[in-house]
Amino acid sequence: MHGFGLARWIQLTTDDVLRVEEGSLYPALYRMENRGWIRADWALTENGRRAKYYKLTATGKRQLAVESRAWDDVSGAIAKIMAARRAPA
Amino acid sequence: MTRTHDDARTPAWRRYLRLLRPNAGGDVDDELAFHLQSTIDEYVAAGLSPEEARDAARRKFGDVDRIANTLYTLSQQRERTMNRSEWWHSVTQDVAFALRQLRKSPGFTIVALLTLALGIGANSAIFSVVNAVMLAPLPYANSDRVLRLWDKNGADWNAVTFGNYGTWTQEARSFEAIAAWWPAGSKTLTGMGDPVRIAGDQATASYWKVFQIKPVLGSYFSDADARAGAAPVVVLSDALWRNRFGGDPAIVGRNIVLNGTPTRVVGVAPQDYILDGSAEKIWSPLIIAPEKLADHADHELSVAGLVKRGVSFEQATHELSQIQRALAVQYPHSGFDDIHTAPIADAVLGSNGKTLYMLFGAVGLVLLIACANVANLLIARATSRRGEIAVRGALGASRGRIIRQLLVESLVIGVAGGVLGLLVGYAGIRFLVTSPVSVPRLQNAALSPAVVWFTLALSIGCALLFGLVPALRAARADLQQTLRDGGREAASGSRDTLRGLLVVAELCLAQVLLIGAGLLIRSMMMLTSVPIGFDTHNLFAASIALPVARYPDAASWDAAFRQIEQNVAAIPGVKSVGRSQVVPIYGGGWNWTAMREGSDGHDAGATVADMRSASPDYFRTLGLPMLRGRSFTNADVPDAPPVAIVSRSLAKRLYGDADPIGRRISNGSVEKPNWREIVGVVDDMRANGPRDEAPLTFYMPASVFANPSQTLLVRGNVPVLTLVPQIRRALAGVDAQLALSGPSTIDASLGRLLALPRFTMLLLGLLGATGLVLATIGVYGVISYFVTQRTHEFGVRLALGASGGAVRWLVVRQGLQLAVIGTTLGVVLALFAARLLSSFLFGVTARDPLTFVVVPATLSVVALAASYIPARRATRIDPLEALRST
Repeated sequence: MHGFGLARWIQLTTDDVLRVEEGSLYPALYRMENRGWIRADWALTENGRRAKYYKLTATGKRQLAVESRAWDDVSGAIAKIMAARRAPA
Repeated sequence: MTRTHDDARTPAWRRYLRLLRPNAGGDVDDELAFHLQSTIDEYVAAGLSPEEARDAARRKFGDVDRIANTLYTLSQQRERTMNRSEWWHSVTQDVAFALRQLRKSPGFTIVALLTLALGIGANSAIFSVVNAVMLAPLPYANSDRVLRLWDKNGADWNAVTFGNYGTWTQEARSFEAIAAWWPAGSKTLTGMGDPVRIAGDQATASYWKVFQIKPVLGSYFSDADARAGAAPVVVLSDALWRNRFGGDPAIVGRNIVLNGTPTRVVGVAPQDYILDGSAEKIWSPLIIAPEKLADHADHELSVAGLVKRGVSFEQATHELSQIQRALAVQYPHSGFDDIHTAPIADAVLGSNGKTLYMLFGAVGLVLLIACANVANLLIARATSRRGEIAVRGALGASRGRIIRQLLVESLVIGVAGGVLGLLVGYAGIRFLVTSPVSVPRLQNAALSPAVVWFTLALSIGCALLFGLVPALRAARADLQQTLRDGGREAASGSRDTLRGLLVVAELCLAQVLLIGAGLLIRSMMMLTSVPIGFDTHNLFAASIALPVARYPDAASWDAAFRQIEQNVAAIPGVKSVGRSQVVPIYGGGWNWTAMREGSDGHDAGATVADMRSASPDYFRTLGLPMLRGRSFTNADVPDAPPVAIVSRSLAKRLYGDADPIGRRISNGSVEKPNWREIVGVVDDMRANGPRDEAPLTFYMPASVFANPSQTLLVRGNVPVLTLVPQIRRALAGVDAQLALSGPSTIDASLGRLLALPRFTMLLLGLLGATGLVLATIGVYGVISYFVTQRTHEFGVRLALGASGGAVRWLVVRQGLQLAVIGTTLGVVLALFAARLLSSFLFGVTARDPLTFVVVPATLSVVALAASYIPARRATRIDPLEALRST
């Protein structure tokens, strides 16, 4: 998926909740590429334009698993805290 | 810098640019432009005008320039790491390939590695010594400000007089402190088992300030301890404290018995104070009596000053020089006219620096020979690998890539040789450190990190030196020609010339080394064949010091020593016993002026002479011939008519051919002459070793030239060292608290005197031999190669009826050419190089004809022999076989 597509995809899947400045997506992509989590190749879009397509690498997949587990832990913990606040003291 | 992100289309020229190299900036621009354009397209589709769409897209995106800049930086980082890892990857590939190649030809690899290990290891070993002895700073806190000071007299310099030292400490403003010491502090330690003589210095309290190192325990003595009448104190060396007192932590404050006197230990000095070996030593305060400070003629003290911060050595020397010249005017004829100074590091190093530089140069030559040898091997190898290299070239490897591959191979050889060299170096360091020479701080030489780095740098340097030319040559080879030849080796004139040149260089350098070694060997032969003047074999010497506490006066000293002589003479197996204050070779003498009657002290009737003492049997024990008159007798005591014996050369100097017996000679000053009648003339002897001419010598009776410390000289009928236990018993029979100090045979002392020149000779001999072996291998290699290359030609010659001798000569002629050119150049170079050796030579000149004929002749014969072996192979070529294989 190319950068523009990614930005659109995030916007759509989150129902416009996460609408960050689109430009700040790119530095994140470049950093991930430098760490070898994603790989980029130039290819033509269906409109015949040249665009840079990003792909998750094997390292990237492992990293994703690690990060999402960490995220699950954190969000689970936060959910518990939120639930506890609502519980009678 | 303006960039247009609006244009989604990459200009055509930039796409082509991307073909040539990755274009990070262009990629970033393209990517962002695509994003913006896509957003604009969406907005336009939603009904906005193109201008509105563009503004909206930019707003949504954020600060385009800032983000673009971040991305440039990030992508540049990525490219750098990628380049690095790519480079590393290809280097590891090269290294792996090189290792495979080397494994494939173990013969070449082993010879190259051993050659390098020898050359590099020798350099590591010598460098470790240079590093420890010359480069490492001295252990003192302010060693860069310490200046050694001497009384200068004409071209000579001497120990300093008490008077001059006193004046300097009072008048000189350039120094924080000036220290004086002398080796008069040796004492007998009793109460700890057998009495033992401990070497020691008496030093001023300022000694510890000038040479500042933190004590191991306690403190050092102070000015108060150095006042007359102060309670006796002592500082122990670390080795003494550990060996004799078991490292007792409570030693400070304890009294130990030195020369029969309870002496309080104030501290333990670290081993760093002793620069040559792990000696047991003591320091006592140097108490200078006021009348000593008036003495400006007796040169006794070692002196060093700590120059004040901000004052240069030149300024300090200048100030002291002015003080000293004023003193010289005030006290003429006192054996000084100026001062001599040297930074402490130079003073400690002394003449050893020269020896080290010489050896460093010699190992450098060996390494050059080794490199030439390896380069030669590599060229030969590259020749047999021409096919492989040509194929690589044909498959698209660039010249640079091939050169890099070959250089990596050289580096692998070089570094592996360096690692092996470290092992050789370690062995070499052990060999040097355990050698019998006494060079200050030699024992500190070790395989330190500095030495390891030096070795590594050296091996890489060598790899470039021996690898670059062969690599360039191999890569230059004509591709097509080689491939057409089917990779077969073809005769190549220039290649032979280069190999020949390398061998000539090897022979030339080996020649220089061998001539150097030859000159040193000749010197050593001359040194050991110099007649000393007396029979040095089976002669034992040891000094004995009587504690003044129990032996207060000259009469008691004389009585004790006579008793000792008598007891020792009674030991079965002892041939004779004598004593003197200092015996030849074993210790130095005193210089005094001797003058004949009628001299004013400064004319030809007066001369500086060695002052020595002799007991009645002393000359007989030495085996020094009595030429005229008589020896001393037991009647020659202080009250008897004063007598003297002179050496042959002193008699000749003062009296010419006239008979000196019965004439009067003085060893006092002009004002207070001290007339003695000459009763005998003894032969000359080289009392200070074979290197120095026999000194003019003036002997006084041992009973008269009284001193509580004397040297006993024993000649045995049986091997004299077997008598030592009995000599000790005889000594104990006189006084159980006396100890033999520095027991040694005169031959052993002579050996120590010659240890450094002998060791230097041995080292240079070893290096010369190494050079010879390497150069011989070089000659052999080139000539063998020559034969292999011309097998076909020799086959034809033999087939056409050439005799074996003719073919042999053809080959040997090649070797002869190399040998003649190499040795001739070597001789020329050696004529220059040998001049650097002249200070090491004795009895031969730096152009010693014998050495300059025998050594080149030997080298030529060896080179010819090395080419004769392949020559014989050439005659055994089967013509049919040779022709068929073409």
